[in-house]
Amino acid sequence: MNTEDTFKPKPAREPVPTHVVGQFSWGLTIIFVLASACWVLLPYTGYLFSALVFLMVIVLAGTRWNRGPVLAMAVVSALVWNFIFIPPQFTLHIEKPQDIIMFAIFFVVALSMGHLITRLREREAALERHHREREELLAQKHRAELLAESERLHRTLLDSISHELKTPIAIIRTALDGLGQGNPYAAEIETANRRLQRIVENFLEMTRVESEALKPHLDWCEIGDVLHATTTPLHRELAEHPSIITGIESLPLLMLDSRLLAQALGNVLHNATLYAPAGTPVEIAVSLTNNTLEFRVHDHGPGLALGIEEHLFDKFYRAPDSPAGGTGLGLAIARGLMRAMKGDIEAHNHPEGGAEFMLRLPVKTRTT
Amino acid sequence: MTALIIDDEIQIRRLLRMALESKGYTVREAENGTLGLQDAVFHKPDVILLDLGLPDMDGVEVLKRLREWSQVPVLILSVRDQESVKLAAFDAGADDYVTKPFSTAELLARLTAIQRRQGQDETACLSVGGLVLDPVHHEATLNGQPLKLTPTEYAMLAQLVRHAGKVVTLKHLLRAVWGPQAEQQSHYLRVYASHLRHKLEGSTLEIKNEPGIGYRLEER
Repeated sequence: MNTEDTFKPKPAREPVPTHVVGQFSWGLTIIFVLASACWVLLPYTGYLFSALVFLMVIVLAGTRWNRGPVLAMAVVSALVWNFIFIPPQFTLHIEKPQDIIMFAIFFVVALSMGHLITRLREREAALERHHREREELLAQKHRAELLAESERLHRTLLDSISHELKTPIAIIRTALDGLGQGNPYAAEIETANRRLQRIVENFLEMTRVESEALKPHLDWCEIGDVLHATTTPLHRELAEHPSIITGIESLPLLMLDSRLLAQALGNVLHNATLYAPAGTPVEIAVSLTNNTLEFRVHDHGPGLALGIEEHLFDKFYRAPDSPAGGTGLGLAIARGLMRAMKGDIEAHNHPEGGAEFMLRLPVKTRTT
Repeated sequence: MTALIIDDEIQIRRLLRMALESKGYTVREAENGTLGLQDAVFHKPDVILLDLGLPDMDGVEVLKRLREWSQVPVLILSVRDQESVKLAAFDAGADDYVTKPFSTAELLARLTAIQRRQGQDETACLSVGGLVLDPVHHEATLNGQPLKLTPTEYAMLAQLVRHAGKVVTLKHLLRAVWGPQAEQQSHYLRVYASHLRHKLEGSTLEIKNEPGIGYRLEER
Protein backbone atom coordinates (compact mmCIF):
# COMPACT_ATOMS: atom_id res chain seq x y z
CA MET A 1 0.00 0.00 0.00
CA ASN A 2 2.53 2.54 -1.07
CA THR A 3 -0.10 4.93 -2.27
CA GLU A 4 -1.05 5.35 1.35
CA ASP A 5 2.48 6.11 2.43
CA THR A 6 2.61 9.29 0.46
CA PHE A 7 -0.24 10.73 2.54
CA LYS A 8 1.34 9.99 5.84
CA PRO A 9 4.41 11.68 7.28
CA LYS A 10 7.05 8.99 6.93
CA PRO A 11 9.00 7.87 9.93
CA ALA A 12 12.65 8.78 9.55
CA ARG A 13 14.63 6.73 7.03
CA GLU A 14 12.31 3.95 6.21
CA PRO A 15 13.86 1.78 3.52
CA VAL A 16 12.29 2.32 0.08
CA PRO A 17 10.35 -0.79 -0.99
CA THR A 18 12.05 -2.81 -3.72
CA HIS A 19 9.22 -2.45 -6.22
CA VAL A 20 9.53 1.36 -6.00
CA VAL A 21 13.26 1.06 -6.68
CA GLY A 22 12.27 -1.09 -9.66
CA GLN A 23 9.90 1.64 -10.88
CA PHE A 24 12.69 4.25 -10.66
CA SER A 25 15.06 2.15 -12.72
CA TRP A 26 12.39 1.19 -15.25
CA GLY A 27 11.37 4.81 -15.55
CA LEU A 28 14.92 5.96 -16.30
CA THR A 29 15.48 3.08 -18.72
CA ILE A 30 12.31 3.92 -20.65
CA ILE A 31 13.28 7.60 -20.86
CA PHE A 32 16.69 6.73 -22.29
CA VAL A 33 15.27 4.21 -24.75
CA LEU A 34 12.70 6.74 -25.97
CA ALA A 35 15.30 9.48 -26.08
CA SER A 36 17.46 7.27 -28.31
CA ALA A 37 14.50 6.45 -30.57
CA CYS A 38 13.55 10.11 -30.88
CA TRP A 39 17.18 10.95 -31.56
CA VAL A 40 17.09 8.60 -34.53
CA LEU A 41 13.79 10.09 -35.72
CA LEU A 42 14.85 13.70 -35.03
CA PRO A 43 15.61 14.60 -38.69
CA TYR A 44 12.07 13.57 -39.72
CA THR A 45 10.01 14.78 -36.75
CA GLY A 46 11.60 17.83 -35.21
CA TYR A 47 12.44 18.29 -31.53
CA LEU A 48 8.85 19.00 -30.36
CA PHE A 49 7.80 15.45 -31.20
CA SER A 50 10.06 14.00 -28.49
CA ALA A 51 8.49 16.30 -25.88
CA LEU A 52 5.05 14.86 -26.67
CA VAL A 53 6.39 11.30 -26.50
CA PHE A 54 7.86 12.02 -23.05
CA LEU A 55 4.55 13.52 -21.84
CA MET A 56 2.66 10.46 -23.04
CA VAL A 57 5.01 8.11 -21.21
CA ILE A 58 4.71 10.14 -17.99
CA VAL A 59 0.90 10.00 -18.21
CA LEU A 60 1.00 6.23 -18.78
CA ALA A 61 3.44 5.72 -15.90
CA GLY A 62 1.20 7.84 -13.66
CA THR A 63 -1.70 5.45 -14.18
CA ARG A 64 0.29 2.55 -12.70
CA TRP A 65 3.26 3.69 -10.67
CA ASN A 66 3.94 5.55 -7.48
CA ARG A 67 4.29 9.27 -7.39
CA GLY A 68 8.04 9.35 -6.65
CA PRO A 69 9.20 7.51 -9.78
CA VAL A 70 6.68 9.40 -11.98
CA LEU A 71 7.85 12.82 -10.77
CA ALA A 72 11.46 11.71 -11.20
CA MET A 73 10.62 10.72 -14.80
CA ALA A 74 9.09 14.17 -15.36
CA VAL A 75 12.23 15.94 -14.12
CA VAL A 76 14.67 13.67 -15.96
CA SER A 77 12.72 13.79 -19.26
CA ALA A 78 12.61 17.63 -19.06
CA LEU A 79 16.37 17.73 -18.57
CA VAL A 80 16.99 15.13 -21.30
CA TRP A 81 14.74 17.02 -23.71
CA ASN A 82 16.57 20.20 -22.95
CA PHE A 83 20.04 18.61 -23.15
CA ILE A 84 19.59 16.47 -26.26
CA PHE A 85 16.82 17.98 -28.34
CA ILE A 86 16.48 21.71 -27.75
CA PRO A 87 19.05 23.57 -29.84
CA PRO A 88 21.83 24.14 -29.15
CA GLN A 89 22.09 20.40 -28.59
CA PHE A 90 24.16 18.79 -25.79
CA THR A 91 24.03 21.83 -23.52
CA LEU A 92 21.49 22.82 -20.92
CA HIS A 93 21.67 26.30 -22.38
CA ILE A 94 18.66 27.42 -24.44
CA GLU A 95 19.06 30.04 -27.07
CA LYS A 96 15.64 31.09 -28.34
CA PRO A 97 13.21 32.75 -25.93
CA GLN A 98 10.27 30.66 -27.27
CA ASP A 99 12.27 27.47 -26.53
CA ILE A 100 12.82 28.68 -22.95
CA ILE A 101 9.08 29.19 -22.59
CA MET A 102 8.38 25.78 -24.15
CA PHE A 103 10.86 24.12 -21.81
CA ALA A 104 9.20 25.83 -18.85
CA ILE A 105 5.77 24.73 -20.08
CA PHE A 106 6.99 21.15 -20.61
CA PHE A 107 8.45 21.11 -17.11
CA VAL A 108 5.23 22.39 -15.52
CA VAL A 109 2.97 20.11 -17.61
CA ALA A 110 5.07 16.98 -16.98
CA LEU A 111 5.20 17.59 -13.22
CA SER A 112 1.52 18.46 -12.85
CA MET A 113 0.41 15.56 -15.06
CA GLY A 114 2.48 13.15 -13.01
CA HIS A 115 1.14 14.63 -9.80
CA LEU A 116 -2.53 14.77 -10.86
CA ILE A 117 -2.70 11.33 -12.35
CA THR A 118 -1.05 9.57 -9.42
CA ARG A 119 -3.34 11.49 -7.06
CA LEU A 120 -6.37 10.49 -9.06
CA ARG A 121 -5.34 6.91 -8.78
CA GLU A 122 -4.82 7.21 -5.02
CA ARG A 123 -8.28 8.69 -4.65
CA GLU A 124 -9.75 5.85 -6.59
CA ALA A 125 -7.94 3.34 -4.41
CA ALA A 126 -9.11 5.10 -1.24
CA LEU A 127 -12.67 5.14 -2.52
CA GLU A 128 -12.52 1.48 -3.31
CA ARG A 129 -11.08 0.79 0.12
CA HIS A 130 -13.94 2.69 1.77
CA HIS A 131 -16.39 0.80 -0.35
CA ARG A 132 -14.86 -2.51 0.71
CA GLU A 133 -14.88 -1.46 4.38
CA ARG A 134 -18.52 -0.49 4.13
CA GLU A 135 -19.41 -3.78 2.55
CA GLU A 136 -17.47 -5.58 5.26
CA LEU A 137 -19.36 -3.65 7.94
CA LEU A 138 -22.68 -4.37 6.29
CA ALA A 139 -21.81 -8.04 6.11
CA GLN A 140 -20.88 -8.03 9.79
CA LYS A 141 -24.14 -6.36 10.70
CA HIS A 142 -26.02 -8.87 8.63
CA ARG A 143 -24.23 -11.74 10.35
CA ALA A 144 -25.03 -10.30 13.80
CA GLU A 145 -28.68 -9.95 12.86
CA LEU A 146 -28.77 -13.50 11.59
CA LEU A 147 -27.18 -14.72 14.81
CA ALA A 148 -29.68 -12.86 16.98
CA GLU A 149 -32.50 -14.18 14.85
CA SER A 150 -31.27 -17.76 15.10
CA GLU A 151 -30.83 -17.36 18.86
CA ARG A 152 -34.41 -16.16 19.17
CA LEU A 153 -35.64 -18.98 16.99
CA HIS A 154 -33.62 -21.40 19.06
CA ARG A 155 -35.17 -20.12 22.27
CA THR A 156 -38.69 -20.24 20.86
CA LEU A 157 -38.07 -23.75 19.62
CA LEU A 158 -36.61 -24.80 22.97
CA ASP A 159 -39.59 -23.28 24.77
CA SER A 160 -42.09 -25.06 22.58
CA ILE A 161 -40.26 -28.40 22.66
CA SER A 162 -39.92 -28.22 26.41
CA HIS A 163 -43.64 -27.44 26.62
CA GLU A 164 -44.50 -30.39 24.38
CA LEU A 165 -42.30 -32.82 26.30
CA LYS A 166 -43.04 -31.71 29.82
CA THR A 167 -46.81 -31.35 29.49
CA PRO A 168 -47.52 -35.09 29.06
CA ILE A 169 -45.15 -35.85 31.95
CA ALA A 170 -47.03 -33.32 34.08
CA ILE A 171 -50.36 -34.89 33.08
CA ILE A 172 -49.16 -38.37 34.03
CA ARG A 173 -47.80 -37.07 37.32
CA THR A 174 -51.04 -35.29 38.23
CA ALA A 175 -53.16 -38.26 37.17
CA LEU A 176 -51.02 -40.55 39.34
CA ASP A 177 -51.49 -38.17 42.29
CA GLY A 178 -55.22 -38.52 41.67
CA LEU A 179 -55.02 -42.33 41.69
CA GLY A 180 -53.53 -42.21 45.16
CA GLN A 181 -50.87 -44.32 46.83
CA GLY A 182 -50.87 -48.05 47.24
CA ASN A 183 -51.38 -49.31 43.70
CA PRO A 184 -48.21 -51.22 42.67
CA TYR A 185 -48.88 -50.57 38.97
CA ALA A 186 -49.22 -46.86 39.61
CA ALA A 187 -45.93 -46.97 41.51
CA GLU A 188 -44.21 -48.49 38.46
CA ILE A 189 -45.66 -45.81 36.19
CA GLU A 190 -44.51 -43.18 38.61
CA THR A 191 -40.94 -44.49 38.63
CA ALA A 192 -40.89 -44.61 34.85
CA ASN A 193 -42.38 -41.14 34.62
CA ARG A 194 -39.75 -39.79 36.98
CA ARG A 195 -37.05 -41.33 34.81
CA LEU A 196 -38.59 -39.84 31.71
CA GLN A 197 -38.70 -36.46 33.38
CA ARG A 198 -35.03 -36.66 34.25
CA ILE A 199 -34.12 -37.58 30.67
CA VAL A 200 -36.18 -34.75 29.21
CA GLU A 201 -34.71 -32.26 31.66
CA ASN A 202 -31.20 -33.46 30.86
CA PHE A 203 -31.74 -33.10 27.11
CA LEU A 204 -33.16 -29.63 27.50
CA GLU A 205 -30.40 -28.58 29.86
CA MET A 206 -27.74 -29.97 27.52
CA THR A 207 -29.23 -27.95 24.67
CA ARG A 208 -29.22 -24.86 26.85
CA VAL A 209 -25.60 -25.43 27.89
CA GLU A 210 -24.51 -25.98 24.30
CA SER A 211 -26.39 -23.03 22.85
CA GLU A 212 -24.23 -20.78 25.07
CA ALA A 213 -27.41 -19.00 26.04
CA LEU A 214 -26.37 -19.74 29.59
CA LYS A 215 -25.43 -16.60 31.43
CA PRO A 216 -24.62 -16.92 35.12
CA HIS A 217 -26.77 -14.73 37.33
CA LEU A 218 -24.46 -13.82 40.22
CA ASP A 219 -25.65 -12.93 43.67
CA TRP A 220 -24.45 -13.29 47.24
CA CYS A 221 -25.19 -16.81 48.38
CA GLU A 222 -24.89 -18.85 51.46
CA ILE A 223 -23.33 -22.19 50.71
CA GLY A 224 -25.90 -23.93 52.92
CA ASP A 225 -28.65 -22.68 50.60
CA VAL A 226 -26.79 -24.02 47.58
CA LEU A 227 -26.37 -27.45 49.16
CA HIS A 228 -29.99 -27.42 50.21
CA ALA A 229 -31.05 -26.69 46.65
CA THR A 230 -28.72 -29.48 45.54
CA THR A 231 -29.97 -32.21 47.85
CA THR A 232 -33.72 -31.44 47.97
CA PRO A 233 -34.55 -32.73 44.46
CA LEU A 234 -32.42 -35.81 45.18
CA HIS A 235 -34.02 -36.80 48.47
CA ARG A 236 -35.18 -40.13 47.01
CA GLU A 237 -31.69 -41.10 45.83
CA LEU A 238 -29.99 -39.73 48.92
CA ALA A 239 -32.28 -41.76 51.18
CA GLU A 240 -30.03 -44.74 50.41
CA HIS A 241 -26.83 -42.72 50.51
CA PRO A 242 -26.45 -40.54 53.58
CA SER A 243 -24.63 -37.40 52.47
CA ILE A 244 -21.93 -36.16 54.82
CA ILE A 245 -21.18 -32.50 54.28
CA THR A 246 -18.08 -30.93 55.83
CA GLY A 247 -16.38 -27.56 55.70
CA ILE A 248 -19.35 -25.23 55.34
CA GLU A 249 -19.46 -23.80 58.87
CA SER A 250 -16.87 -21.07 58.46
CA LEU A 251 -17.57 -20.06 54.88
CA PRO A 252 -18.40 -16.42 54.17
CA LEU A 253 -21.04 -15.26 51.70
CA LEU A 254 -20.01 -16.09 48.15
CA MET A 255 -20.82 -14.39 44.86
CA LEU A 256 -22.10 -17.11 42.54
CA ASP A 257 -25.05 -18.41 40.56
CA SER A 258 -26.63 -20.74 43.06
CA ARG A 259 -29.03 -22.36 40.59
CA LEU A 260 -26.30 -23.38 38.13
CA LEU A 261 -23.93 -24.52 40.86
CA ALA A 262 -26.66 -26.51 42.61
CA GLN A 263 -27.50 -28.21 39.35
CA ALA A 264 -23.89 -29.08 38.49
CA LEU A 265 -23.32 -30.40 41.98
CA GLY A 266 -26.66 -32.23 41.91
CA ASN A 267 -25.70 -34.06 38.72
CA VAL A 268 -22.40 -35.18 40.24
CA LEU A 269 -24.18 -36.28 43.40
CA HIS A 270 -26.82 -38.15 41.44
CA ASN A 271 -24.08 -39.88 39.48
CA ALA A 272 -22.42 -40.94 42.73
CA THR A 273 -25.67 -42.45 44.06
CA LEU A 274 -26.06 -44.44 40.82
CA TYR A 275 -22.72 -46.21 41.10
CA ALA A 276 -22.15 -46.57 44.84
CA PRO A 277 -23.80 -49.54 46.58
CA ALA A 278 -26.86 -48.67 48.67
CA GLY A 279 -26.12 -47.71 52.25
CA THR A 280 -22.68 -46.25 51.56
CA PRO A 281 -22.30 -42.57 52.31
CA VAL A 282 -21.41 -39.82 49.83
CA GLU A 283 -18.99 -37.32 51.33
CA ILE A 284 -19.01 -33.72 50.22
CA ALA A 285 -16.08 -31.64 51.44
CA VAL A 286 -16.31 -27.91 50.79
CA SER A 287 -13.32 -25.60 51.01
CA LEU A 288 -12.34 -22.09 50.02
CA THR A 289 -8.74 -21.19 49.19
CA ASN A 290 -7.60 -18.00 47.47
CA ASN A 291 -11.08 -17.18 46.19
CA THR A 292 -11.52 -20.63 44.70
CA LEU A 293 -14.42 -22.62 46.00
CA GLU A 294 -13.88 -26.35 45.83
CA PHE A 295 -16.27 -29.24 46.30
CA ARG A 296 -14.89 -32.74 46.61
CA VAL A 297 -17.57 -35.36 46.15
CA HIS A 298 -16.28 -38.73 47.27
CA ASP A 299 -18.36 -41.90 46.92
CA HIS A 300 -17.70 -45.43 48.08
CA GLY A 301 -18.51 -47.13 44.81
CA PRO A 302 -16.19 -49.15 42.57
CA GLY A 303 -14.32 -46.07 41.39
CA LEU A 304 -13.46 -45.13 37.83
CA ALA A 305 -12.31 -47.81 35.40
CA LEU A 306 -8.81 -47.32 34.04
CA GLY A 307 -8.55 -44.68 31.34
CA ILE A 308 -12.11 -43.39 31.38
CA GLU A 309 -11.27 -40.08 33.06
CA GLU A 310 -10.92 -38.31 29.71
CA HIS A 311 -14.29 -39.50 28.43
CA LEU A 312 -16.24 -39.20 31.64
CA PHE A 313 -17.48 -35.70 30.83
CA ASP A 314 -18.18 -36.34 27.15
CA LYS A 315 -21.71 -36.09 25.88
CA PHE A 316 -23.54 -39.45 25.76
CA TYR A 317 -20.52 -41.27 27.20
CA ARG A 318 -21.54 -44.11 29.47
CA ALA A 319 -18.96 -46.02 31.43
CA PRO A 320 -18.84 -49.78 30.85
CA ASP A 321 -21.09 -51.68 33.32
CA SER A 322 -23.26 -48.61 33.91
CA PRO A 323 -26.65 -49.35 35.42
CA ALA A 324 -29.60 -49.28 33.00
CA GLY A 325 -31.30 -45.96 32.47
CA GLY A 326 -29.41 -42.76 32.00
CA THR A 327 -28.32 -40.88 28.95
CA GLY A 328 -24.69 -40.12 29.62
CA LEU A 329 -25.52 -36.43 29.83
CA GLY A 330 -25.44 -35.68 33.57
CA LEU A 331 -21.68 -35.19 33.87
CA ALA A 332 -21.42 -33.45 30.48
CA ILE A 333 -24.00 -30.95 31.72
CA ALA A 334 -22.15 -30.56 35.01
CA ARG A 335 -18.99 -29.69 33.12
CA GLY A 336 -20.86 -27.31 30.79
CA LEU A 337 -22.40 -25.53 33.76
CA MET A 338 -19.11 -25.28 35.65
CA ARG A 339 -17.36 -23.87 32.57
CA ALA A 340 -20.17 -21.40 31.98
CA MET A 341 -19.32 -20.10 35.47
CA LYS A 342 -15.58 -20.02 34.63
CA GLY A 343 -14.95 -23.01 36.86
CA ASP A 344 -14.16 -26.61 36.02
CA ILE A 345 -14.65 -30.18 37.09
CA GLU A 346 -12.40 -33.23 37.15
CA ALA A 347 -12.47 -36.74 38.50
CA HIS A 348 -10.06 -39.37 39.75
CA ASN A 349 -10.02 -42.35 42.06
CA HIS A 350 -9.72 -41.66 45.75
CA PRO A 351 -6.70 -43.31 47.42
CA GLU A 352 -9.08 -44.96 49.90
CA GLY A 353 -11.28 -46.31 47.10
CA GLY A 354 -14.28 -44.93 45.28
CA ALA A 355 -14.41 -42.05 42.83
CA GLU A 356 -13.76 -38.45 43.72
CA PHE A 357 -15.10 -35.52 41.72
CA MET A 358 -13.67 -32.07 42.19
CA LEU A 359 -15.65 -29.00 41.24
CA ARG A 360 -13.77 -25.70 41.35
CA LEU A 361 -15.21 -22.26 40.96
CA PRO A 362 -13.67 -18.78 41.25
CA VAL A 363 -15.76 -16.69 43.66
CA LYS A 364 -15.79 -13.31 45.30
CA THR A 365 -16.25 -13.48 49.06
CA ARG A 366 -17.81 -11.27 51.66
CA THR A 367 -17.11 -11.74 55.33
CA THR A 368 -20.09 -11.05 57.52
CA MET B 1 -64.57 -20.51 46.77
CA THR B 2 -64.05 -20.17 43.02
CA ALA B 3 -60.88 -21.04 41.17
CA LEU B 4 -60.23 -20.04 37.57
CA ILE B 5 -57.86 -22.20 35.52
CA ILE B 6 -56.33 -20.49 32.49
CA ASP B 7 -54.48 -23.18 30.53
CA ASP B 8 -54.67 -24.35 26.92
CA GLU B 9 -54.12 -28.02 27.78
CA ILE B 10 -57.50 -29.69 28.23
CA GLN B 11 -56.07 -32.63 30.18
CA ILE B 12 -54.34 -30.34 32.65
CA ARG B 13 -57.59 -28.41 33.10
CA ARG B 14 -59.60 -31.62 33.64
CA LEU B 15 -57.13 -33.00 36.18
CA LEU B 16 -56.85 -29.71 38.04
CA ARG B 17 -60.65 -29.47 38.08
CA MET B 18 -60.90 -32.87 39.74
CA ALA B 19 -58.21 -32.08 42.29
CA LEU B 20 -59.70 -28.69 43.12
CA GLU B 21 -63.31 -29.87 43.26
CA SER B 22 -62.30 -32.57 45.70
CA LYS B 23 -61.09 -29.75 47.96
CA GLY B 24 -64.41 -27.94 47.69
CA TYR B 25 -63.54 -25.36 45.03
CA THR B 26 -65.95 -24.31 42.32
CA VAL B 27 -63.88 -24.48 39.16
CA ARG B 28 -64.04 -22.33 36.03
CA GLU B 29 -61.88 -22.93 32.96
CA ALA B 30 -60.50 -20.76 30.18
CA GLU B 31 -58.41 -22.01 27.28
CA ASN B 32 -56.66 -18.77 26.39
CA GLY B 33 -55.70 -15.40 27.81
CA THR B 34 -58.58 -13.38 26.37
CA LEU B 35 -61.24 -15.78 27.63
CA GLY B 36 -59.43 -15.96 30.96
CA LEU B 37 -59.45 -12.19 31.41
CA GLN B 38 -63.15 -12.05 30.44
CA ASP B 39 -63.98 -14.75 32.91
CA ALA B 40 -62.02 -12.98 35.63
CA VAL B 41 -64.02 -9.79 34.97
CA PHE B 42 -67.45 -11.43 34.97
CA HIS B 43 -67.08 -14.08 37.63
CA LYS B 44 -64.55 -12.58 40.06
CA PRO B 45 -62.77 -15.84 41.02
CA ASP B 46 -61.11 -16.11 44.44
CA VAL B 47 -57.92 -17.53 42.99
CA ILE B 48 -56.45 -17.92 39.49
CA LEU B 49 -54.17 -20.68 38.19
CA LEU B 50 -52.38 -19.27 35.16
CA ASP B 51 -50.25 -21.01 32.55
CA LEU B 52 -47.56 -18.92 30.84
CA GLY B 53 -47.58 -20.51 27.39
CA LEU B 54 -51.01 -19.55 26.12
CA PRO B 55 -51.96 -19.65 22.44
CA ASP B 56 -53.10 -16.04 22.10
CA MET B 57 -50.83 -14.11 24.47
CA ASP B 58 -48.09 -14.66 27.00
CA GLY B 59 -49.25 -15.45 30.52
CA VAL B 60 -47.19 -12.59 31.93
CA GLU B 61 -49.17 -10.24 29.69
CA VAL B 62 -52.44 -11.70 31.03
CA LEU B 63 -51.15 -11.12 34.54
CA LYS B 64 -50.19 -7.51 33.82
CA ARG B 65 -53.64 -6.74 32.42
CA LEU B 66 -55.30 -8.48 35.34
CA ARG B 67 -53.24 -6.51 37.85
CA GLU B 68 -54.50 -3.24 36.36
CA TRP B 69 -57.74 -3.73 38.19
CA SER B 70 -57.59 -6.81 40.40
CA GLN B 71 -55.57 -8.06 43.36
CA VAL B 72 -56.90 -11.63 43.11
CA PRO B 73 -54.24 -14.19 44.16
CA VAL B 74 -52.56 -15.69 41.09
CA LEU B 75 -50.55 -18.91 41.01
CA ILE B 76 -48.38 -19.38 37.93
CA LEU B 77 -48.28 -22.94 36.66
CA SER B 78 -45.70 -23.36 33.92
CA VAL B 79 -43.17 -25.70 32.35
CA ARG B 80 -40.69 -22.82 32.13
CA ASP B 81 -38.27 -23.11 35.01
CA GLN B 82 -35.70 -20.43 34.23
CA GLU B 83 -35.07 -17.92 36.96
CA SER B 84 -35.57 -14.96 34.60
CA VAL B 85 -39.05 -16.17 33.64
CA LYS B 86 -40.02 -16.65 37.26
CA LEU B 87 -38.72 -13.22 38.22
CA ALA B 88 -40.65 -11.62 35.36
CA ALA B 89 -43.83 -13.32 36.61
CA PHE B 90 -43.26 -12.13 40.19
CA ASP B 91 -42.52 -8.61 38.95
CA ALA B 92 -45.80 -8.66 37.04
CA GLY B 93 -47.63 -9.49 40.28
CA ALA B 94 -47.71 -13.28 40.59
CA ASP B 95 -48.23 -14.58 44.12
CA ASP B 96 -46.41 -17.86 43.64
CA TYR B 97 -44.93 -20.07 40.97
CA VAL B 98 -45.17 -23.84 40.52
CA THR B 99 -43.33 -25.59 37.71
CA LYS B 100 -44.89 -28.47 35.77
CA PRO B 101 -44.68 -31.36 36.48
CA PHE B 102 -45.94 -30.58 39.98
CA SER B 103 -47.17 -32.57 42.93
CA THR B 104 -50.88 -32.06 43.56
CA ALA B 105 -50.42 -31.86 47.32
CA GLU B 106 -47.82 -29.13 46.94
CA LEU B 107 -50.00 -27.24 44.49
CA LEU B 108 -52.97 -27.29 46.86
CA ALA B 109 -50.79 -26.15 49.77
CA ARG B 110 -49.47 -23.22 47.70
CA LEU B 111 -52.98 -22.34 46.65
CA THR B 112 -54.13 -22.19 50.27
CA ALA B 113 -51.10 -20.13 51.23
CA ILE B 114 -51.65 -17.43 48.60
CA GLN B 115 -55.32 -17.09 49.51
CA ARG B 116 -54.71 -16.42 53.17
CA ARG B 117 -56.01 -12.94 53.83
CA GLN B 118 -52.98 -10.78 54.34
CA GLY B 119 -52.55 -7.78 56.61
CA GLN B 120 -56.23 -7.46 57.46
CA ASP B 121 -55.43 -6.58 61.00
CA GLU B 122 -51.92 -5.25 61.51
CA THR B 123 -52.15 -5.58 65.29
CA ALA B 124 -53.45 -9.15 65.42
CA CYS B 125 -51.00 -11.80 66.55
CA LEU B 126 -49.34 -13.71 63.75
CA SER B 127 -48.82 -17.38 64.32
CA VAL B 128 -47.60 -20.38 62.43
CA GLY B 129 -46.39 -23.78 63.62
CA GLY B 130 -45.80 -22.89 67.27
CA LEU B 131 -44.30 -19.50 66.44
CA VAL B 132 -46.30 -16.52 67.63
CA LEU B 133 -45.41 -12.92 66.80
CA ASP B 134 -46.87 -10.02 68.72
CA PRO B 135 -46.80 -7.03 66.34
CA VAL B 136 -47.60 -4.52 69.10
CA HIS B 137 -44.66 -5.33 71.36
CA HIS B 138 -42.42 -6.82 68.65
CA GLU B 139 -41.98 -9.96 70.67
CA ALA B 140 -41.92 -13.57 69.58
CA THR B 141 -42.48 -16.90 71.25
CA LEU B 142 -41.63 -20.31 69.90
CA ASN B 143 -43.60 -23.21 71.41
CA GLY B 144 -44.39 -20.99 74.39
CA GLN B 145 -40.75 -20.06 75.00
CA PRO B 146 -39.70 -16.44 74.37
CA LEU B 147 -37.55 -16.13 71.26
CA LYS B 148 -34.86 -13.46 71.37
CA LEU B 149 -34.76 -11.50 68.14
CA THR B 150 -33.07 -8.27 67.10
CA PRO B 151 -35.42 -5.66 65.54
CA THR B 152 -34.18 -6.55 62.03
CA GLU B 153 -34.61 -10.26 62.64
CA TYR B 154 -38.08 -9.59 63.93
CA ALA B 155 -39.00 -7.50 60.89
CA MET B 156 -37.77 -10.17 58.49
CA LEU B 157 -39.45 -13.01 60.35
CA ALA B 158 -42.69 -11.01 60.48
CA GLN B 159 -42.66 -10.72 56.69
CA LEU B 160 -42.10 -14.46 56.31
CA VAL B 161 -44.78 -15.35 58.86
CA ARG B 162 -47.29 -12.95 57.34
CA HIS B 163 -46.80 -14.74 54.02
CA ALA B 164 -46.21 -18.21 55.50
CA GLY B 165 -46.13 -20.95 52.89
CA LYS B 166 -45.73 -18.42 50.10
CA VAL B 167 -42.53 -17.30 48.47
CA VAL B 168 -41.50 -13.79 49.50
CA THR B 169 -39.26 -12.25 46.84
CA LEU B 170 -35.82 -10.87 47.68
CA LYS B 171 -36.93 -7.45 46.48
CA HIS B 172 -40.02 -7.46 48.68
CA LEU B 173 -38.06 -8.53 51.77
CA LEU B 174 -35.30 -5.97 51.26
CA ARG B 175 -37.85 -3.22 50.70
CA ALA B 176 -40.01 -4.16 53.65
CA VAL B 177 -37.19 -4.66 56.13
CA TRP B 178 -34.41 -2.30 55.03
CA GLY B 179 -36.26 0.18 52.83
CA PRO B 180 -36.35 0.83 49.07
CA GLN B 181 -32.71 1.96 48.86
CA ALA B 182 -31.57 -1.51 49.96
CA GLU B 183 -33.08 -3.38 47.00
CA GLN B 184 -29.68 -4.49 45.69
CA GLN B 185 -28.22 -5.48 49.05
CA SER B 186 -29.12 -9.16 48.94
CA HIS B 187 -26.23 -10.06 51.24
CA TYR B 188 -28.19 -8.55 54.19
CA LEU B 189 -30.85 -11.18 53.60
CA ARG B 190 -28.43 -14.09 53.44
CA VAL B 191 -26.96 -13.16 56.81
CA TYR B 192 -30.29 -12.65 58.56
CA ALA B 193 -31.84 -15.72 56.97
CA SER B 194 -29.05 -17.82 58.43
CA HIS B 195 -29.45 -16.14 61.86
CA LEU B 196 -33.16 -16.88 61.78
CA ARG B 197 -32.56 -20.46 60.74
CA HIS B 198 -30.33 -20.96 63.77
CA LYS B 199 -32.96 -19.49 66.06
CA LEU B 200 -35.71 -21.65 64.60
CA GLU B 201 -33.66 -24.83 64.87
CA GLY B 202 -35.57 -27.61 66.57
CA SER B 203 -38.97 -26.24 65.55
CA THR B 204 -41.17 -27.49 62.72
CA LEU B 205 -40.54 -24.30 60.78
CA GLU B 206 -38.11 -24.06 57.95
CA ILE B 207 -36.91 -21.04 56.00
CA LYS B 208 -36.47 -22.31 52.48
CA ASN B 209 -34.46 -20.53 49.84
CA GLU B 210 -35.78 -20.41 46.28
CA PRO B 211 -32.60 -19.78 44.31
CA GLY B 212 -32.62 -16.32 42.77
CA ILE B 213 -36.24 -15.68 43.77
CA GLY B 214 -36.67 -15.39 47.50
CA TYR B 215 -37.52 -17.16 50.75
CA ARG B 216 -40.42 -19.25 51.90
CA LEU B 217 -41.36 -20.12 55.46
CA GLU B 218 -42.70 -23.65 55.55
CA GLU B 219 -44.03 -25.95 58.18
CA ARG B 220 -42.66 -29.44 57.97
